[in-house]
Amino acid sequence: MRPSFFHHLHPPTIPAPQARLSYTLGAGGMSVFLSLVVGFTGILEAFYYVPTPEKAAASVQTISYLVPFGGLVRSLHYWSAQLLVTMVAVHMLRVFLTGAYASRRRFNHLLGMSLLVGAILLNFTGYVLRWDQGIQWALVVGTNLLKTIPAIGTSLYVAVTGSTELGPLTVLRFYIWHVFGFVLPIVVIFVWHLFRVRRDGGIAVPPPALRTQHERISRSVLVRREVLAAFLTGALLLTLSLIWPAPIAAPMTDVQAATGDARAPWFFLWVQQLLRWGDPFILGVLVPLAILAILGVGPYIVRGTEPADLGRWFPPSGRSLQAVAILLALGVVALTILALLPVP
Amino acid sequence: MKSIWLVVGAIVLLSAVIAAGIVETVKPRPVELIPTLTQQPEYCLTCHAELEEISAAHPVKTFGCVVCHGGERLALDGDLAHSTMRGGANPSDFSVVEQSCGSEQCHSGSAQDRRDHIQRATTSIQATYAGALANILYTFGAEPDLTARYGISEVKDAQVQTVTGVPGLLTFEAASFNNPFIEQFSQNCTTCHLNAMPAAGEEYDRFSGCSACHTPLKPRETTADGNIHRLTTAMPYTQCNTCHNRGNYDLRTMTFVPRSDHPTDRLRDYYQPIAQFVKCEYTLDCVDCHTRIEAMGDGDLHSSKKDIQYIQCKTCHGTLTELPRTTRLNDENDIAFRMAQLNPVVELKLGDEILMTAKGEPLWNTRVQPDGTFELVGKATGQTFRFRPVMGSGCKQNIDQQASQYCHECHSVER
Amino acid sequence: MQQPSRRDFLKLMATYIAGLAGLLGGYGMARFMSFQSEQGQSTEFDLGPADAFAVNSKKVVTEIPAIIARDAGGFTAMSLQCTHLGCTVEESADGFACPCHGSRYDSTGVVTRGPATRALPHLRTEVSAGGHLIVHKDEA
Repeated sequence: MRPSFFHHLHPPTIPAPQARLSYTLGAGGMSVFLSLVVGFTGILEAFYYVPTPEKAAASVQTISYLVPFGGLVRSLHYWSAQLLVTMVAVHMLRVFLTGAYASRRRFNHLLGMSLLVGAILLNFTGYVLRWDQGIQWALVVGTNLLKTIPAIGTSLYVAVTGSTELGPLTVLRFYIWHVFGFVLPIVVIFVWHLFRVRRDGGIAVPPPALRTQHERISRSVLVRREVLAAFLTGALLLTLSLIWPAPIAAPMTDVQAATGDARAPWFFLWVQQLLRWGDPFILGVLVPLAILAILGVGPYIVRGTEPADLGRWFPPSGRSLQAVAILLALGVVALTILALLPVP
Repeated sequence: MKSIWLVVGAIVLLSAVIAAGIVETVKPRPVELIPTLTQQPEYCLTCHAELEEISAAHPVKTFGCVVCHGGERLALDGDLAHSTMRGGANPSDFSVVEQSCGSEQCHSGSAQDRRDHIQRATTSIQATYAGALANILYTFGAEPDLTARYGISEVKDAQVQTVTGVPGLLTFEAASFNNPFIEQFSQNCTTCHLNAMPAAGEEYDRFSGCSACHTPLKPRETTADGNIHRLTTAMPYTQCNTCHNRGNYDLRTMTFVPRSDHPTDRLRDYYQPIAQFVKCEYTLDCVDCHTRIEAMGDGDLHSSKKDIQYIQCKTCHGTLTELPRTTRLNDENDIAFRMAQLNPVVELKLGDEILMTAKGEPLWNTRVQPDGTFELVGKATGQTFRFRPVMGSGCKQNIDQQASQYCHECHSVER
Repeated sequence: MQQPSRRDFLKLMATYIAGLAGLLGGYGMARFMSFQSEQGQSTEFDLGPADAFAVNSKKVVTEIPAIIARDAGGFTAMSLQCTHLGCTVEESADGFACPCHGSRYDSTGVVTRGPATRALPHLRTEVSAGGHLIVHKDEA
């Protein structure tokens, strides 16, 4: 069989351990597929979404209830976005716990981290675009956090919201950030990230001289696995969408009207919990930035995993970063659980 | 990996797609309505197709649902669609009435247009409860006279236009008077104004706001889906009874003593033993005589219902020397003719002559007959009553004693 | 240490100069993004005739959001925007509570529980020539 375009996106053969599901968890590949779904459904939604404060929530209702299959498209967009954030985070954790960030891959690790940040920013801006009572406190808190940054806070706030207070331009700004401002750089970094994976010799395994296993698989097998994963993920997304449609609430009447749900979106619950404890700039801006910095710069400081140890979980070299990653992950999970508990 | 797994995967995906397709097709198809008044599409009828028209004056094709009820007009999810409804199921509650029944196009216009129903109703004695409050406060020495100074909630009137009108009422707060009787009154006796939900019990059953009167619950006519969706100007006396004639205040204990019987025979059971009344008072419904101004107020704040009641026997019967006031329906746009058309009781035609009150309110359920007698049709009952003017009858009453109380001397009924 | 070659030096120079151009461009971008093409929301709220507020009464005005109190001395307006991160506080049994991060204030606006550190500010009020109560969204 002549290889197709899609086959040519892959090397002719790769070492079998690079494609072992128990090693990669398929998280990176899933993220690629979810990105395609979220992008495609997003374009569909854009045909109906109206980014004005008066019509935004109504147009979300139109998509959800009136456009044929609109509710399904919106739910698919929602679920693929949530799974995307989850999968990118899982992917990053896998990279830390298998030492795959080591040496020359550490730049690609930075690219990957910026994709995680991008996925979260896109998820948050998309959430705000609902412009209903379910999102208003997240909007108020998220944007006011920017204001707490010394010196540049106010300018940053205006750049994000279009004014010194949340107003008629805010929904347009969030819309543009969501569909262009964040998406375009992310597409570039996304392609760059994949390119670097190829350039760095595929998924991290020991170099050929140190390899114990020499089995290789062809790209036709690889593509077949990817297609199967795409089928199953697609079926999962459809099932989730049918059972739990994307959330929606009554339109926002006034951004300060005390009606909304005060709970942050799930991926920011841990920040909300931190914010209960004090200074917003330190806990809401510096702490998350510090976590990103530790995870991003760590591979540049710590020696990391030896080439011979690559390709397996919890390699003996590079334990320090494994411990850091596990602690941070547990911390975020613990804070999230705390945030979900009823407030005393 | 064998290719068979690809086939299995594809089948799983196909099943999910088919399931999504089935879910989409079994959903009810959205039913669009674009009311001529709002020109905004709404989809309430997707679920509420069976709901009867609320009244002849409010056809759904013209008004739609949202202009009165609010709610999310595009949402097909019941919870979301209903989440922003005004006043829950009752948009006529006075807390939201301005947005629902109000607006200048509807019932919140100017007095000249006779579209000021809301301004009048919310300041009327039935809404402020000022009469009862003034009486109680005077009785227990908290106020020097019977002039109203308090209402159920604070209200002001910038333009007092009548002699009995008061410029404003403060919120009645029982605790501020330091009087156990007044506090008890406040606890036991304040469920009978239009803002209040009624006391428990079938005999008190009514809604709040405009619907307290305009949505009669006796008989309780529910729609196909179990709701009550009706507005009418033909209120039977039973609706007035949910507040009026329900029992007595016991001034000694400051409690409300509900009457123990359920009056069914209007002649024998209805009026309290000392009451003096004539035949039309137990054969007609209250709204057959009592007018819009009497029930909904004239826009001024008053101290007593007596300030606003003005219908007398002579309104319909005239006096020895005068025939009752009448008006001829000459203009299609005349308010009298429009009201007669919207609330069809008698089939009035242009050129017909009907009775009119001293304040110029047309009684569109009446008609002057060619022989000089009168016809009145019960708004709620549809029963026709014929009666003669006093003038030319054998009435021996003094000419200067023509108020109702003098008529009662001879014409009151014996039980 | 080996002397950098002429070519390396020029490359480095080019990078720095282009970097400087990029920084200037970034500054321009930042200026571009932070322009306010429309006025922010109104900072002045006309609450209608001042007489409509009874002496010794309180009223919540959600669009500011603030609680307006009138006593014998005149009007006070207390902001209901949490001083922590700006959610609107809700009236609770012993004052005000913020739904977002759990700050508590007593009925005079003083913080009784963090994370907020500043009391709810009092807003400037005035009665206009026409007798209307005006609340300004700046601190009294």
